Amino acid sequence: MRKTPIAARTLVASVTALAVVPMLAACTENASSGEDGKKGGDARTLSVGSSADACELSATKAPAGTLSFDVTNTGSDVTEFYLLGADGLRIVGEVENIGPNLTKKLTVNAPEGDYFTACKPGMVGEGIRAPFTVTHSEQEQQVSASDQELIDQAQANYRAYVQDQSAQLLEKTKEFVQLYEGGKDDEARGLYPVAREHWERIETVAESFGDLDPKTDAREADVDFAAGEKWAGWHRIEKDLWPQGAKGYTALKPAERTTYGDDLLANVTELDKRIQATGPDALTYPIDAIANGSIGLLEEVANGKITGEEEAWSHTDLWDFQANVDGARVAYEGVQGLLEAKDPALAEELTAKFDALQAVLDQYRDGDGFVLYTALEPADTKKMTDAVNALSEPLSKLTAAVTS
Amino acid sequence: MLANLLIGLREGLEAALVVSILVAYLVKSERRELLPRIWAGVGIAVAVALAFGAALTFGPRGLTFEAQEAIGGTLSIVAVAFVTWMIFWMSTAARGLGAELRGQIDKAAEGGRWSLVVVAMLAVGREGLETALFLWAATQAGTRDTVGSVTPTWEPLVGAMLGILVAVALGYLIYRGAIRLNLTVFFTWTGAFLILVAGGVLAYGLHDLQEAGILPGLHNLAFDVSDAIPPSSWYGTLLKGVFNFSPATTWLEATAWVLYVVPVGALFLLRTRSTRPARPSRQLQEH
Ligand SMILES: [Cu+2]
Repeated sequence: MRKTPIAARTLVASVTALAVVPMLAACTENASSGEDGKKGGDARTLSVGSSADACELSATKAPAGTLSFDVTNTGSDVTEFYLLGADGLRIVGEVENIGPNLTKKLTVNAPEGDYFTACKPGMVGEGIRAPFTVTHSEQEQQVSASDQELIDQAQANYRAYVQDQSAQLLEKTKEFVQLYEGGKDDEARGLYPVAREHWERIETVAESFGDLDPKTDAREADVDFAAGEKWAGWHRIEKDLWPQGAKGYTALKPAERTTYGDDLLANVTELDKRIQATGPDALTYPIDAIANGSIGLLEEVANGKITGEEEAWSHTDLWDFQANVDGARVAYEGVQGLLEAKDPALAEELTAKFDALQAVLDQYRDGDGFVLYTALEPADTKKMTDAVNALSEPLSKLTAAVTS
Repeated sequence: MLANLLIGLREGLEAALVVSILVAYLVKSERRELLPRIWAGVGIAVAVALAFGAALTFGPRGLTFEAQEAIGGTLSIVAVAFVTWMIFWMSTAARGLGAELRGQIDKAAEGGRWSLVVVAMLAVGREGLETALFLWAATQAGTRDTVGSVTPTWEPLVGAMLGILVAVALGYLIYRGAIRLNLTVFFTWTGAFLILVAGGVLAYGLHDLQEAGILPGLHNLAFDVSDAIPPSSWYGTLLKGVFNFSPATTWLEATAWVLYVVPVGALFLLRTRSTRPARPSRQLQEH
């Protein structure tokens, strides 16, 4: 043969790649499986039983570091297991295709923080979810003292911000419910997007309370009426205040208004109580949770606000949009000092992209608020989408950069 | 049993289809001497996958979730490049058939011959690691102690093996069916089919990268028909196994699929059309 054919060399390269890639790619310690550390067990090895209607974990807490989940399918359908971030969206790890009677292992490197676990029998839907906590541990990377100061500062600031917004949310919700139940519809309509701003600014924290979020912020489209789920909260009242868009809608009677109004206020009160809690019940905001909160809020914008799905009746989506961006920016600025020490280029880019997004939004201001979503042309939403995408790409690197 | 059988079927189907089309093509175009290269590619992929599966399952080190998804996603995208190459290689080589230039074309295709090994290897190896992990887990299920309510059983391994056998049988049937067609018809149909398959592989690869957090947009769904096509149903399994169809598809996946299938399909149909301008292209109207 005159020369080695190019493809033959490609072949050799591919075989080598196939063989070597798994070696190079982030290999991780298989956590020891009980036997050698039987006394007290290994807190980092958890077992999960996934049946047709349950997802049982051997523990709902584990110390930070390399965790392994042995997931056994005790049902008759194929199942999946996920470890999700505090926002319930980011996939920290998953195992798919667990057939009946099978055990598969998920190995992840999990830093301290709040998580969700989910089993998905039949591989559809949200899955059977439960909160999961990763606690502080020595195995986690040690951070230098000056970093530690910045981190403590960021955490304290962010907690103060969340508590302040929550208090204002409760204040405005009280007012709003009073107006609504009292039949002062015009004033209630005016206050609706203003009160919700405080919710949207801390949405990722509010959503971390899996029991309160659906009761408070569920959209009609997300309620499974066929399964007997009830629809209440902000958007239920929204529809009643803006019934024009709804065909054949029957307005709520005063007694029903009181029911929905009181229910909303009760849930927001409970939310505020948990956010303001002190002592052992106090919420913590680890640095990665703050950074992820910023990312999560921007995802909220992309998923619900730019599409106009969130405020289907009032069309006040841009208020929520702005509030999500506010929240994302505050969270980002909380860790900005830390980021500047680790990746100044990323910090500069993020600041510029936040400014650019804000400049786009500012074009749609109208008095104290914004124009309605229905006034937007496709070209307008395109502009917003572009600005959001331009920001979300560098923003997705934030957590890794500040925790590195 | 059925659920594990369907998983085996799904994992095996796509590889079996691509390999059987390759084999049918070589047999039809009288290049049987190249068949060992296909089997070599398949053999390498199976061996490598099983070895890694065993090492990761029983060894002291495992793969992180991100690494698994990144490997799967990257291999998928590489596989798409090779399958696309193969489609056009087949079309060029098929054109030379019967022509007196056959010898020259064979020479030109010398490089292509080696790439056949890579195509076969990638087709099998792409899902190979995941399948191997599945099979080893199934083997463990037969030998372990009782865990909670789950007793040791060989049922998962038997089910998965049966599924893979069914996939191979389906591949063989495709091969037998293809053997009887004339080459032009055969390669128009399989080419179009493979473009759809490759589009699915591309979309699936991107989805893996989205899950690993390397690409954004995991939660921006273009459509979700999970209610109509449950992923664990037999038809959901078939659609997934053949076309990598996901009932819940993100915008990124859908866009990539269209951006791949439309131009590549158009180019392919143009080329096929120009090889036989006399005949009305009845076969081309399938999509
Ligand atoms: Cu995946």
